[in-house]
Amino acid sequence: MSDRDLIATEHDDLGQLFRRALRNRSFLIGLIITLVVIAVAMISFVWTPYDVTKLTIADRLKPPSAHHWFGTDHFGRDIASMIMEGARNSIAVALVAVAIGTVIGVPVGCWAAAKRGAIDEVLMRSSDVVFAFPALLSAVMITAILGPGAINAIIAIGIFNIPVFARVARGAALAIWPREFILAARASGKSQARITLEHILPNIANLLLVQGTIQFSLGILAEAGLSYVGLGAQPPNPSWGRMLSEAQTMMAVAPQMAIAPGVAIIVAVLGLNLLGDGLRDVLDPKLRRER
Amino acid sequence: MFAYAARRLLTVLVTLFAASIIIFAVLQVIPGDPARLMLGINATDDAVANLREQLGLNAPVYARYFNWLADMARGDFGVSYTYSAPVRELVGERIVVSLPLAILALTLSTLVAIPVGIFTAARHGTATDTAAMAATQFGIAIPNFWFALLLVYIFAITLRWVPAGGFPGWEDGVLPGLRALILPAIALALPQAAILSRVTRSALLETMREDYIRTARAKGLPQRRVLWHHALRNALIPVLTIMGLQFAFLLAGTIIIENVFYLPGLGQLVFQAIQRLDLIVVQSVVILLVGAVITVNFFVDLAYAWADPRLRHRTQ
Amino acid sequence: MSDPVLQITNLQLSIGQNPILRDIDLTVQPGSVHAVVGESGSGKSMTALATMGLLPQEAAARGEISFGGHNLLTLTEPDMCMLRGDDIGMVFQEPMTALNPVKTIGEQVAEGIRWHTNASRREAEDRAAHTLERVGLPKAKFPLERYPHELSGGQRQRVVIAIACALKPKLLIADEPTTALDVVLQKQILDLLRDLVETDGTGLILISHDLGVVAEMADDITIMREGEIRESGRAIDVLHHQRHAYTRQLAEASIHVPLWKNRKEADAGVAQPLLTVSRVTKDYPGKRTGLFHRGEPFRAVDEVSFAIPEGRSVGLVGRSGCGKSTLAHMILALDNPTSGHISVDGIDTVHHGGDQAVNLRRSMQVVFQDPYGSFNPRRTVEWLVSEPLHTLPDTPTRQERRERVAFALDEVGMSTDAMHRYPHEFSGGQRQRLAIARAIITRPKLVVADEPVSALDVSIRAQILDLFAKLNDDLRIAFLFITHDLTVARAITHEVMVMHDGQIVEHGPSQTVLDNPQSTAAQALIEAAPDLRKAIVRRRATAAQ
Repeated sequence: MSDRDLIATEHDDLGQLFRRALRNRSFLIGLIITLVVIAVAMISFVWTPYDVTKLTIADRLKPPSAHHWFGTDHFGRDIASMIMEGARNSIAVALVAVAIGTVIGVPVGCWAAAKRGAIDEVLMRSSDVVFAFPALLSAVMITAILGPGAINAIIAIGIFNIPVFARVARGAALAIWPREFILAARASGKSQARITLEHILPNIANLLLVQGTIQFSLGILAEAGLSYVGLGAQPPNPSWGRMLSEAQTMMAVAPQMAIAPGVAIIVAVLGLNLLGDGLRDVLDPKLRRER
Repeated sequence: MFAYAARRLLTVLVTLFAASIIIFAVLQVIPGDPARLMLGINATDDAVANLREQLGLNAPVYARYFNWLADMARGDFGVSYTYSAPVRELVGERIVVSLPLAILALTLSTLVAIPVGIFTAARHGTATDTAAMAATQFGIAIPNFWFALLLVYIFAITLRWVPAGGFPGWEDGVLPGLRALILPAIALALPQAAILSRVTRSALLETMREDYIRTARAKGLPQRRVLWHHALRNALIPVLTIMGLQFAFLLAGTIIIENVFYLPGLGQLVFQAIQRLDLIVVQSVVILLVGAVITVNFFVDLAYAWADPRLRHRTQ
Repeated sequence: MSDPVLQITNLQLSIGQNPILRDIDLTVQPGSVHAVVGESGSGKSMTALATMGLLPQEAAARGEISFGGHNLLTLTEPDMCMLRGDDIGMVFQEPMTALNPVKTIGEQVAEGIRWHTNASRREAEDRAAHTLERVGLPKAKFPLERYPHELSGGQRQRVVIAIACALKPKLLIADEPTTALDVVLQKQILDLLRDLVETDGTGLILISHDLGVVAEMADDITIMREGEIRESGRAIDVLHHQRHAYTRQLAEASIHVPLWKNRKEADAGVAQPLLTVSRVTKDYPGKRTGLFHRGEPFRAVDEVSFAIPEGRSVGLVGRSGCGKSTLAHMILALDNPTSGHISVDGIDTVHHGGDQAVNLRRSMQVVFQDPYGSFNPRRTVEWLVSEPLHTLPDTPTRQERRERVAFALDEVGMSTDAMHRYPHEFSGGQRQRLAIARAIITRPKLVVADEPVSALDVSIRAQILDLFAKLNDDLRIAFLFITHDLTVARAITHEVMVMHDGQIVEHGPSQTVLDNPQSTAAQALIEAAPDLRKAIVRRRATAAQ
C-alpha cells in the first residue's frame, strides 16, 4: 500500500477506529509491547531490583537466577536493573529525536508544498543535503567537537529525522493541495497558512503518526548503535548499546551478557514496528474497503 | 535523457558543495580554534601557535575553506596531525576494507530480498507469505551489531569456522579477505534484506492494483506473467529508492560492524581520530562518506530514468 | 438471425452476503451493438467483469455465460486466459491509466498477439502496426516506440482499443469507453468502434450511462437498475416507446430542462456588468528541452474578453484542454493572468488587497465537479458549509453561524440534521447540494460552477439543475457554468460562450448558438454531441426506409 492511501478520504469516527484497531492483531500486539516497554522505563525511575551504580565484585558474572533474573555483569551489576534503566535512555533519545524531526520537518514540508516553485526547490534541496548525513556521521562530527555524551545521539538522530519528516509531509501535502476542497477553501479566501492548519494537517496527520512510529523504532536502533561505539550515553548511565559493547569483551567467558540487551532492543523495535504497521492498516481507508 | 542526467549532475554538485560547507563549518569554524581543541587545554600557547601555523589556520575562514576544496580536488586531504601521515594514505589503506564490505553486504541483501519479495507477492495471502513477513519483522528489529556478536559467538568462538576478527589484507589473494568479510557482510545484510523484501513485496502488490494490470489481464496473460512482465518494472522505483538509502546506511553501518570484528577499516580510523581529536582525519572521512552517499543517490536517479520512460522525457 | 456470440442466462452474482446481480439474461449478436445502460450501482460493470472472468476474488457467480460452446463461469483460469484477448476483448473507461507507463505502445499491442498466436516478434510487430493504423494511429505519425505518456487521452484510448481488437475478437466489451473524453473525441471513438463491429462482425457490449450515446450506437439495449434488468429489446423500439416507467424516467432526466422563470429575462444590456474579463491571457512556461532551454510558452488562454451582468447565467463550453478551467481559476483568483484584467463587482481580482480581497471572496463563490473531493473528510457539514463566512465584515457568533448554515441547507433542500454529520455519510447528489449550500451562504452575486453535474447520475443531475434554476430565480445569483455537456448549457444558461484553443470563438444567446453555430469549433462540438431526441428521430427514419 502506498503512503498516499493514508491520506484520509473519510472521516474516522473515533469509537469505530478504536474498535477496528483492537481487531487488528499487529496493532494490538505492538501496542501491548510498546506500553510494557514504556512502563518498564517509568518504573525504573522509582524502583529497580538493584542499584546499577553499585559495583559488587563478589557477584560478578552470575548466571540468571531468582535473585538476578538476567544474571550479573563483570562488575557484578544486575543486568535486569540495567535493562530497565537502559529502556529509559533509549526511549528518551528516540522520542526527543522524533520530536526534533517533527517540529522542524513538518512545517518545512508543509511550507514547501504550499509555496511550490523556488522556495520548494530550495527547501527540498537543503533537505537532500541534510539527508546525506547518516546519523552516525553527524554523531562522529558532534563528538569530535563536543566530546562524547548522550545529547550527541539525540542531536544526530534528530537532525536526520528532519528531512525524513519534511519529505513525508511535503509529499502528502502536495497530494492534498490540488483536491477540490482546498480549491474551495482558497476560493473562499483563506490564506495558505490557515488552509494548511485547517485542512492539510488534519489530513496528513495519519501519515505523520505512522512515520513517527517508524522513526521512533529506527531511533532506538540508531541510539543502540551509537552508544555501542561510544558516541552515545556515557557511564555510569546504563544504555542497551553500551551494555552490548561491554558484553563483547566478555564474549568468550560470559556470552549470556549479550543476550538480554539484544533481546530488549529487538522487543522494543519489534513492538513499535508492529504498532506502526497496525496503525497503517487501521487508518488506511483503501484497505478497509477491500476487507 | 542527457538533459535529465545533466540536471541531476548539477544538483549533485550543488549538494556536495553545500555538504562540504556544513562539514567545514562544524569542524573548523564552530570549535573556534581547532588547534586548541586538538591539543587540549593544557597545551602551551607556543604549541598551539605552531599547530595553527602548520595547519594554515591563520588565514581567513573563506580562504581556508577554498584551500581545503582546492587541495581535495588535487587529491590532497592534508596531513594527519596524530599519525603524521598524509590522510590520503590513511584513508586509502582502510577503504579497501570498508568499501568491499559495503558492496558485499548490499549484494547479499539484494540477492536475498528481491526474490523473497517477488515470491511472497506472488503468493500473497498464503501461509508462506504470512510466515515470511513475520520473519522479516524480526529481521528489521535485530540490531546488526548484535547479530554480528551472535555470529562471532556461533561461527568463530564455538565452531571456529572463521576467524573472530581481524583482516589479513588482500595481498594473499581474494579468498582469505572474503573469508574475513563474510560474517560482517551477513550481519550488515540481514536487516537490510528484511526491509528490502518488504518494500519489494508491497510495491508489487500496490502495482498489481493498477488499471493497466487489468488491461494486461484482459489480453489473456496469466497472473504470473503479468506480475513479471508488467508489475515488476513499475514496482522498481520504490525498490531503487530504498536500495539507494540502504547504501548510505551500509556505509555508516560498516563503521559500527568493523568494531565488532576488529576490522582495520574507516570505522577504526575515525574512532581513533575522535579519541585523539584529529579533526583533519575526521573531516576527510566524513566528506568522503557523505560524498559516497550523494554519488550513490545520483546513480539511483539515473536508474529511475532507466526504469521509467516518463522521467527520461520530462526533465523537470 | 445467426447464432449469438454471447448468451448470458439467469446470471446471479453476489459478493459476500450482498446480492449484486439477479436473473441477468443478455444476448449479443455478431456484428451488432448491445448497449447495457444504467446508473451507478446498477451492476452493468459487474456483468462485464463476470463475462471476462475478472471478477473480484470474493465474488460468487451462478447461472450461465455461454460463449463459443463454453460456459465461461465454469472454465478454468488457463482456459479463460486462452479466450481473453483472443476471442473476447475489453476496453476500459479511463484511458489515462489503462496503459503500462513503462512499455511502448508497440510492445503493448504486440504482446497479446505474440501470446496467443506464437507469432515471431517481427510478425507481431507488423500486426500491431497494422492494428494501430486501423484505429487511427498510423506508424508514420505514431511510431511503435512511443510511450503512453506521449499520447493524449483520445489517442491512448485508441491504443487500448487496438489491444482489444488486435486479434479480431468475436466479442468486444467496452465499459464506458468515452466517459472520460470530450464529445468530439467521444464521437471519433464511437465511430471507430462502430466500424470495427461492422467490418469484423464483432459483437459489442457497450456499457454506458448516456442514453444519447446509446441511441446513436445500439442495435439492442438492456436497461439495468439495482442489479436487475428493467427492460430490454431493440434499441430504437425501447427508446422510442419508453414503455417501462424506469426507461421513461431515465430518458426524461437525460433531456431534463428545469422550470426556470428567469429564462426569458430581459435583454442583458440593461443590467450592470458584474464580472468583467478584459483581454485576459495566460501563458505557461514551455517544456524544458535541454539543460538551459525551454520550448515555446504554451498559451492556455488568449486575449479573452467578456462580461456577465447581474443575475445572468452564462455557459462556457469547449473541448477538454481548450482553456476553460484555466479561465475559471483566474476568475476565481486562484491563479493570476499573464496579462489582462478581471473585475468582479467593481473589484480587480488581480491587484486587490486587504478589505477588498475579502469583499471579492464574499461576492464570488464556487461549486466544483467532484462531489467526493469537494469536502474535507475530517470536518462536519456545519464547519464546511460555514467556511466562507469568515469573509463577513463581522465574525458571526456560534449561534448566528448555525442559523445561517441551517438556512442555507434549507435553501438547497437538505434537512438541518445534516449539520452534525460528515460528508461521507451523504450520496453524490446530496454532497453537491452541500457544495451549493456552501457557495450561497455568503449571498454571493456570482457563482462559478465547474462541471457541477458531470459526475452525477442523470436523475440526480436533473434535480441539481432544478436547484440551480431555483437559486437564479429566488436569489438572482449570476452563474458561470463551465461544462462540456451541451444539454446542461441548453438547460440552464441564458448565453453560451464557445471556447477553442484559448480563445472565445463564439458568444451569444444559448438558443441561437446551440441551434445555429457559426464557428467551426462550435459546429464540431454541437455536431458531435449526442442528442437522444434527434438520434431517435434519425434512426427511426433510417429504419423506415
